[in-house]
Amino acid sequence: MANHSSAKSHASHVQHHFVDSDQQFDAAKFGMWIFLVTEILFFGGLFAAYIVYRAWYPELFTLASEELNTLWGGVNTLVLIGSSLTVAMAIKSAQQNQKKNIIINLGITIALAFVFMVIKYFEYTHKFEIGIFPGQFYAFEGIDHAKANIFFSLYYLMTGLHGIHVIIGIGLMIWLVKKAANNAYDSEYYTPLEITGLYWHLVDIIWIFLFPLFYLID
Amino acid sequence: MASAEASSNLSKKVQVQRYKPVEYLKDNYLNAEKGIWSWLTTLDHKRIGILYLMSLTVAFLLGGVMALGIRMELWTPAQTFIEADTYNQLFTLHGSIMIFLFLVPSVPAVLGNFILPIQLGAKDVAFPRLNLLSWYLYMAGAAISIYSILAGGIDTGWTFYTPYSSSTGGAVTAMTFGVFVIGFSSILTGVNFITTIHKMRAPGLSWDKLPLFCWGLYATSIIQILATPVLAITILLVGMERILGIGIFDPALGGDPILYQHFFWFYSHPAVYIMIVPGFGIVSEIISTFSRKTIFGYWAIALSSLAIAFIGFLVWGHHMFVSGQASLASMVFSFLTFLVGIPTGIKMFNWLSTMYKGSIKLDTPLLYVLGFFFLFTVGGLTGIALATIAIDVHLHDTYYVVAHFHFVMVGGMVMAFMAGLHYWWPKMFGVMYNQTLAKIACFLIFVGFNVTFLPQFVMGSQGMPRRYFNYIDQFQSFHQISTVGSFILGIGFIMAIAYFIHSIFYGKKTVANPWGSRATEWQIPSPAPPHNFEHTPVMIHGPYDYHKPMADFQLGLVQSGNGHDAEHSAKIDKKAEAEN
Amino acid sequence: MSGHHISTDKTLLSVAGGLFILTILTVAVHYLALPNPWSIIVAMAVAVFKATLVAMFFMQLYWDKKFNTMLLIASFVFLALLVGFTMLDTMFRELPVPSF
Repeated sequence: MANHSSAKSHASHVQHHFVDSDQQFDAAKFGMWIFLVTEILFFGGLFAAYIVYRAWYPELFTLASEELNTLWGGVNTLVLIGSSLTVAMAIKSAQQNQKKNIIINLGITIALAFVFMVIKYFEYTHKFEIGIFPGQFYAFEGIDHAKANIFFSLYYLMTGLHGIHVIIGIGLMIWLVKKAANNAYDSEYYTPLEITGLYWHLVDIIWIFLFPLFYLID
Repeated sequence: MASAEASSNLSKKVQVQRYKPVEYLKDNYLNAEKGIWSWLTTLDHKRIGILYLMSLTVAFLLGGVMALGIRMELWTPAQTFIEADTYNQLFTLHGSIMIFLFLVPSVPAVLGNFILPIQLGAKDVAFPRLNLLSWYLYMAGAAISIYSILAGGIDTGWTFYTPYSSSTGGAVTAMTFGVFVIGFSSILTGVNFITTIHKMRAPGLSWDKLPLFCWGLYATSIIQILATPVLAITILLVGMERILGIGIFDPALGGDPILYQHFFWFYSHPAVYIMIVPGFGIVSEIISTFSRKTIFGYWAIALSSLAIAFIGFLVWGHHMFVSGQASLASMVFSFLTFLVGIPTGIKMFNWLSTMYKGSIKLDTPLLYVLGFFFLFTVGGLTGIALATIAIDVHLHDTYYVVAHFHFVMVGGMVMAFMAGLHYWWPKMFGVMYNQTLAKIACFLIFVGFNVTFLPQFVMGSQGMPRRYFNYIDQFQSFHQISTVGSFILGIGFIMAIAYFIHSIFYGKKTVANPWGSRATEWQIPSPAPPHNFEHTPVMIHGPYDYHKPMADFQLGLVQSGNGHDAEHSAKIDKKAEAEN
Repeated sequence: MSGHHISTDKTLLSVAGGLFILTILTVAVHYLALPNPWSIIVAMAVAVFKATLVAMFFMQLYWDKKFNTMLLIASFVFLALLVGFTMLDTMFRELPVPSF
């Protein structure tokens, strides 16, 4: 005796094991927060390695940080903050049944994310040009410290992992744009927007910490 | 006409009636949909539990074969029939497979998936699709691990210590990637369980009535989500070391190998609690049912699970006493390790007190639990011995450690898992296995286990190192006794698998509640219905109250359907009444 | 409709504006070259404040169930435990890295 045909008495998006739409939304948000906890611990391992090495070799970090361009790092920070604003606006548009604005806001978010990656691309290639490669391929002579490769290994690892998460976010949001164009989201149901937004804000928060830790050392 | 007491946490009154389960359900979850494809695309938590059971059985047999290979090689002090390098691969794979492919998923993925939603009065877990994904990730990770065995193997030990693991040949990168993928499986299960427990409890099921099995799974899931990501990043870093020569852990590149150990054990110590805490939950359920008595010290047992989860995060350095760790850190870790034994001890005393003056029924599940009591106590106490730095300096990396962790993981966890399987098998398949054979197998497993591992304590304290392919003559008789024991142990497990499989096809059909338990999963038919309940269950008592009539545990909302409709679950304003 | 708070444009824009200003502020402070350890303390304090703004107003924790906030805080607590206990070792060794 399955109640799968009960679409008439509640919205079709409510899954059979949930009592109502609110319980489902609540559960989705809660589950997403738990996933964000795992992301924090995932990145956290790298932050722990950073802290350990910076405590051991503070002078290395001061020296090596000069190879990073504070201006472009700052611009990237503003870019991500802007993208957090626009994704929050996209969710608001859904809550207010403004379908076109969902797509516009998501589109701006994706564009800003692209800008972030483009700036990252130029930062990386500039470093490659002067021989700053990760790990054993490090070939830069300009820093007078035996462990310089460790700083840049951490830099590439942490910004690289962050960049991968940005790309994943772009992918998710492109998918959301597609679904929004098919009228999938409105004030009754916008859960995927909500949880993707939470993910994106965490990506922003991680950069908020990466920026001073790598670019603002003196 | 008995009147139902309103739960103290119920903020509104509802009208309830009794829903007595049929004894055997012909249209159950096993035959609701037919064909392999329906199994491979199922969203039913019960079917996913069965899928996991099949995968885990294969993994257990694979890991077991490796164990027998190790024990056979150790029959003689020099080479018996295996090359030294192959031997290193054997113990590495035995450990990795048993831990990552068997023990870590075991109870949560099989029994947790099956029983948790039912005990909560829910129709499924919060995220059924993530649940299925979790199984596929497990299978993918397992496939990658099998590939890495065939593509050169690994001989680093399951602990993958650097710099050896970051520089040696073999398929380390592939294997660690396999573990990485399985880690996600573990994380998704944790996310699912925590959300389900928080958001999908039936009306009346307040936290003070939550079954202790659920408390155990809750604590386990917390550990899973906090610890597994750190393992994931550690594995990623080892991979990066191998591919890019990053140099975080390799002293030749300027890194610190002990830092690897910190990151690795930050997960791997809580991992042992992931492995055992669900087992504690099973023990609570079985003790209460087979003593027909309310569990003694409900809150002590519930909160001690959380305490173990928390303190378990603070003790990882006890694996590193002789690694070069600073003495200050070692002392702190040693002290905290002593502390973590206390909540476990509390559980032991509470379980024993539950049995006191109970009406004991020595069925197979209880026999496994009694074995658990003895074996886990030995394992736990030897853990406390190892936590003492001065002792550990001598015993580290000897067979004493090997015996300790096998006592807690096999004597503890595997026994608890077997107990749970024997307990819930009728609910899962609607059949009873051959109980005589079950008791014989239990006896063989218990005896075989002791014969295998007790000599290892003695060997270890006399200096026999672990992971050694050769050894000096004085240890030969110990090794030979141990090997004989391992085969007895193996026979016991094979017997169990055999009668279980036999029961699925030829077993006698069983009733809804063969054990007479008060727990919710026993108030629905056997095998379970596809959606668990055809009504919305209402809990008015905790699940261990044997003073109350069975009817009190079979209550549900008076309404048509099973609560899918949003309208019906809106405000209902009636006096609570129980009717027969 | 519980749990569906709709932020006003004013809230979202002011939070974004605040974050912009704090970013520029933290870069400016960097060029002041404060003495150690103040430079890292100020930088981290600003970062924590910015992250709090994002969490509370963009991620809507301010209007959400308290438990979700506790989850976030708990993750940082455990991260602190990882770092803290590891440094109980790394800061108290005689040589930072075992050398050959």
